[in-house]
This record gives sequence, C-alpha cells and structure tokens, in this order.
Amino acid sequence: MLRAENVTKTYNAGKKTALADFSIDVPAGSIYGLLGPNGAGKTSFIRIINQITKADSGNIFINGKKLNPDHIKEIGYMPEERGLYKNMTVGDQLLYFGELKGMSRNDALNQAKYWFEQLNIDQWWKKKLSELSKGMAQKIQFVVTVLHRPKLLILDEPFSGFDPVNANMIKDQILKLKNEGTTIILSTHRMESVEEMCDYVALIDHAKKILDGKIFDVREKFKKNIFGVTLADVDEGGFENFRNQFGIGNYTSNHQLISFELKNENDQNALLNQLMKIGKIRSFDEKIPSMNEVFINAVSQNN
Amino acid sequence: MQFRKIIDFFLTQTITMKNILLITKREYLTQVKKKSFVILTVLMPLLLIAFGSFIGFMMKSNQTSHTFNVIDKSGLFQGKMKSTDDLKYVFVPESNEAALKSTLKDMEGIDGLLIIPKLENQDFDALEKNTLLLINKKIGFDTKIKVGADMMDVVKLEKIKLLGLSESQVANLDKKFDLATENIVDKNTADSDLSFAVKTGLGMVMTYAIFMFIIIYGVRVMRSVLEEKNNRVVEIIISSVKPFELMMGKILGVTLVALTQFLVWISMAIVGAVFFNKGFTTIQQTVGMKNLDLSQLFSLISHTLLDLNYPLIISCFIVFFLLGYIFYSSMYAAIGSAVDNETETQQFTLFAIIPLMIGIYGSFSIINNPDGPTAFWLSIVPFTSPIAMMARIPFGVPVWQIVLSIGLLLCSTLLMIYIAGKIYRVGILMYGNKATLKELWKWIRSS
Repeated sequence: MLRAENVTKTYNAGKKTALADFSIDVPAGSIYGLLGPNGAGKTSFIRIINQITKADSGNIFINGKKLNPDHIKEIGYMPEERGLYKNMTVGDQLLYFGELKGMSRNDALNQAKYWFEQLNIDQWWKKKLSELSKGMAQKIQFVVTVLHRPKLLILDEPFSGFDPVNANMIKDQILKLKNEGTTIILSTHRMESVEEMCDYVALIDHAKKILDGKIFDVREKFKKNIFGVTLADVDEGGFENFRNQFGIGNYTSNHQLISFELKNENDQNALLNQLMKIGKIRSFDEKIPSMNEVFINAVSQNN
Repeated sequence: MQFRKIIDFFLTQTITMKNILLITKREYLTQVKKKSFVILTVLMPLLLIAFGSFIGFMMKSNQTSHTFNVIDKSGLFQGKMKSTDDLKYVFVPESNEAALKSTLKDMEGIDGLLIIPKLENQDFDALEKNTLLLINKKIGFDTKIKVGADMMDVVKLEKIKLLGLSESQVANLDKKFDLATENIVDKNTADSDLSFAVKTGLGMVMTYAIFMFIIIYGVRVMRSVLEEKNNRVVEIIISSVKPFELMMGKILGVTLVALTQFLVWISMAIVGAVFFNKGFTTIQQTVGMKNLDLSQLFSLISHTLLDLNYPLIISCFIVFFLLGYIFYSSMYAAIGSAVDNETETQQFTLFAIIPLMIGIYGSFSIINNPDGPTAFWLSIVPFTSPIAMMARIPFGVPVWQIVLSIGLLLCSTLLMIYIAGKIYRVGILMYGNKATLKELWKWIRSS
C-alpha cells in the first residue's frame, strides 16, 4: 500500500536530521506500528506522507504511484496535537472537514450520521465544541479523521487523552476499519498501547529505522528462549538434579507450587518430558519479550 | 533571479479554487455570525454621530462668557467696543473707580475692570501703556487677545480719522477682495469654500476608513491565524489543503466580512445623502451662507457629494481598499503564523503600523495641497498609497497616476503574498520558539 524509499529530512539547513535514509513497506489492509521515543522522527515521516512537509530526498509511493496531491483525499490523519474549532458546532465542523477532503455535502452528512450512530453521539450535532468534554472532543476528532473513508489511516498517538472505555471503543473501530480493508499506520511512543493491535512494526530511534517486520517475527528474533514453569507435587531430589542441569538460580516456593524461569535452546518437548518426571506441570510458557524490551534490546544492539 | 522565482511561485501554484472558497466561506460565516459583528455594523455609524456631537458639545460647553466693567476716561471707546455673547463690556462712570477696585475681588458675574486713561496729545502709545485690565480670576489667553483686538480696532479707526478720512472712506478701505477662480482643466468653476470643505472631509473620511479597516481587519486575520495555530486545528487543515490556500481563503473571507460591513455603511450614507439632497432646490436662491440652518447645510453638503464623480471615487476606494487590505493582511497573516501568542505579535506589527501611520499623517499635508510632491509620492508608493490616494481623489487625480499607483500596489501585493506565504507555511507548524527576523528571512528564502 505505502512504500517509503530512503526518505531523508533535515531541518535548520541540515543541522538537525529528522529522518535518515528511512525505508518501510506497509502492506495493504494491515495495521502498521511506527514505534519509537518522542523526537525519533515519527511525526516528521507522517507529515511527509500527508504532504505537509517535503522530504529532502527519497520517494514515497502509494499503491505504486508516487505521492501526489490526489492522494490527500485517500488519507485520514489524526495528529498527535488534537485540534478543532472551539466555536463551531460539531455538525458544521464535520461537514467543513469533509468538504475540505473533497466530499460532497450530502456525502459528508451521511457519513457523519453513520459515525454518530456507531459512537452513540447523535445528540451532539448542534453543540459547540467548547461545550463538550475532552473525551467527547476526542471522539469527534476521530470521526473527522475517518469521515471521508480514507484508504490509509494515520493515527499519531491514537490513545493519548482517551479514558479506557473510549480507548477500547476506538480500538474496536480501528479493528473494524482494518477488516473493511483500510490500511492503518499507528504511531506511538507508548509501545504497550498498540502492540496487540499491530501486524507489522518499525522501530525508529534518532531518525533511523532500527528494525522492522511482522510483529511476530520481530519478537521471535528477540526472544531469549526463556520459559516460565510452575510445578506442583515436586519430587525434591529430581528437582535438585534439574536445577543443577539448567543452572536455575532463583525459584519461588509457594505451598505445593514451585515456579522458576529457565533458558532452553533445545527442543521444548524434550524439556517438557524432563519436567513431567519431577512434578505435575501447572504452567509452561515461553517468555516473549514486550515491544518495550524489544526496543531497548534493539537500540543497545544497534549501538 | 529572485524575480523569476516569484513569478514561478504564482504560475506553478496548483491552487484548488474550491478549497480556497470553502475556507473563505467558513471564515466569512463564523465572523459574520458573531454578535460583535452585527452590533458593530449597526451601531458604528450611530456611535460616530454621537461621538461627533459629543465633541461639539464639549467644545461649546468649554466656552465661558466674560463680563468686564470698563471705565473709559478717554471717552473714545464708549459705544464702540461691541459686546458679543462671550465677551461683554459694561461701561461705568469714572466716579465708581475706587469702589469697583475695592469690591472687584469678591464680585460675582464681573470678571474684570478695564481702566482706560485719558488720551493726551493724541499719544496712543501712552494710552496703550497706561491701559490696565484688572481681573479677579483667570480669563484665558483668548479673551485677553480679544479685548486687545477690540481696543485696537477702535484705536485704528481713530488714527485713520486723524489722517483726515471720512467713515465711509474707511469702510471702503476694508472691502474684501473676492477672487474668482476657474479651473480650465475641469471646466467647472473651482471649488467654493464649501465644496472644498466637503472634499477635504470626504478625503479624510475615506483615508481614515481605509486606515481603520486595514488595522482592524488585518489584526482579525492575524487573530484567526493565531487561533488555528493555538488550537492546533491547523495541522488537520493543511493535511487537506495547502497552507497557501488556507492563508488566501482566510484573507478573502475576512475581506468579504469587511466589504459586507462597508456596503451596509455606504448604503446608509447614500440613503442619508439622498434624503438631505431633497431640500436642495428650495434653498438655492439663498445666497448668504450665514443664515443657513443645519438641515440646509446638510443638504448643500449632500448636493456637493452627489455632484462629485462618485462612481470613480467609490470604485477607486474599493480597489485601493482591497489591494491595500490584502497587502497588509498577508503581512498580518505572516506575523500571526510566526508567533505563539498575541503578546509576541507586537514587535512585528510595528512593521505594519508604521507605514500606515506615515500614510495617515502624510494625508493631513495632502489635504492642504493635493497636487504637491508629498501628495504625489505618498499616493504612489505602495505602503502608503491605499491611504494617501484616498485623500487626493475627491480633488481629482490624473488618470495616469491612478493607474501607476494601482499597478505598483498590485505588484507589491503579489510580492507580499509570496513572502507571507513562505513565512506562513513554515510558521504555522513552529511552536515554542520565538521567531527572529533572521529566521523569517531564512523561511522566505527556503524553497
């Protein structure tokens, strides 16, 4: 859907680099996470896609076509800094933004109605934005972003400012849009907020892409073959031998249960066989690193 | 080189007119729907009239009348110093001098005692030297001069009589010389005092109107830019339209608001002029100006106004207003985009206000000499021309000067839009750091 090739962007006459040789490939119909700390270059990249700023060099293609002003209609963008007109009514505002994206008034009206039903907010149409709470305004902001049925949806820090209930509601809507075929780019520095939604991720730090790929592959790559085990009815002698064999240091013993972590790079089934002999297996799971951990590891590896 | 860049800028802008119109529409509707707009449009003319009357009232009520007792030992002045509404002379017999002197301090209603000595050997210098006005309160410089002048008139007459002229000969000496003028270019007779005054007044009104409108509505553009920047809505908008389109739409929207207000006011003025013009024919016979009452004066003024080439004046007014306004409001838009809040705008708004000030103060001298060199240059140079030309136009300006002035203003307006567009594009996404002039220059030069 979207392909960026060697995009570079500098500010202050080249003194500050926002993006260095940045390339990603966002498959159609996927949720793609742009993850990285504040100031890493995520917003710069998003602004280039939205044609708010121009890249110094490099190319961006949408569906194989070089980025051009016609693409603007196909993109929905929710900036990190949310903003709407305070003294306009919600309805006027939606129609205005819809029309700016090239919709007809009628079309905008119909879409707005659809979303107002979806989000249960139809009684807000005539209210001024200044009369709404922050959470309500956030919902309107989301509707503004998706009103023109964009094929590419770009959400910068999508959940900041939402309370958990509304965040879930928006999350559901995002997943629904994805199922309808929308390609979605989520950008955030709070990696835990999006990791279960993303199909693909790219990690950005200091203007550079550190790593990208399917989220599953990325995690697999950084997993350390550590397993968590909880056993019941442990055979003391067998456990002592097992501890020595795997070099298990700490373990917790709680009533009849013993829990510990171990590192195993060999066959997991063989390991299970061994464990079965020293006790009843209560739980056995592989410790997959969180995106946060992946990020920290990737950055330290990179340096 | 730079010139080419600017031309390219306008030629290669793929502006979507639809977007500009959408923005213009929103800007217009939001501003016109504001209560403050409706109130201002309806009340402003009334306020102006009320303000004018108030000033007149203040001037009038500051005038006080003075009454002086006069002891005229020379006998020359009695009956010849005429009392007026604000200056009264009461002649009293010489015998009262001592009593009056002692009671003057506590006298109510009498402000002073004028003592004129005997005239001896026709020595008027000695008379002047020995004349004394005793006062019991401050009388103001004006009054002192007036009393002196009244006395001088009497003395002058006496002196002339001494030279052996009769009173009728003296009166003949003072006869006014009425100079007839004829303008061979306009074929009309040159301005009468009244029509000169009306033209001056009209010039001043238009000059002030443009000046005020540029400042009021320029600042409105700036506020609107700042508002969008501050509530961050700007990033959403420019993800849909070009910054240039947003800026132009905004400027045009506010322009329409200003024009709406104008139309309302101009129609109010024309309706008023036509209304008062009705009475004109009936008083044409009245030659003496002194006896005109207020409504007759209004009708004369209205007639003079309608006698002017007002289609030209109105169209020039609209053209100069529009261009001048767009020139300055793009400057204001750039200022609004370059800063974070209104207090920071002050250092930059000076650039917009100083040329306007020069224009408005220069216009005062233009009124005195509408064809002088100051008038010419101020009405040609783009920064001041929208204002200064308006001061000249009621008196008639050669067509080539109007064309030259409009041409120059048009070019500089385009240049200003170009510069403002560059600053605006970068400025609206800059938060937190106060832009310096050096930075602005960099933004302009950036491609």
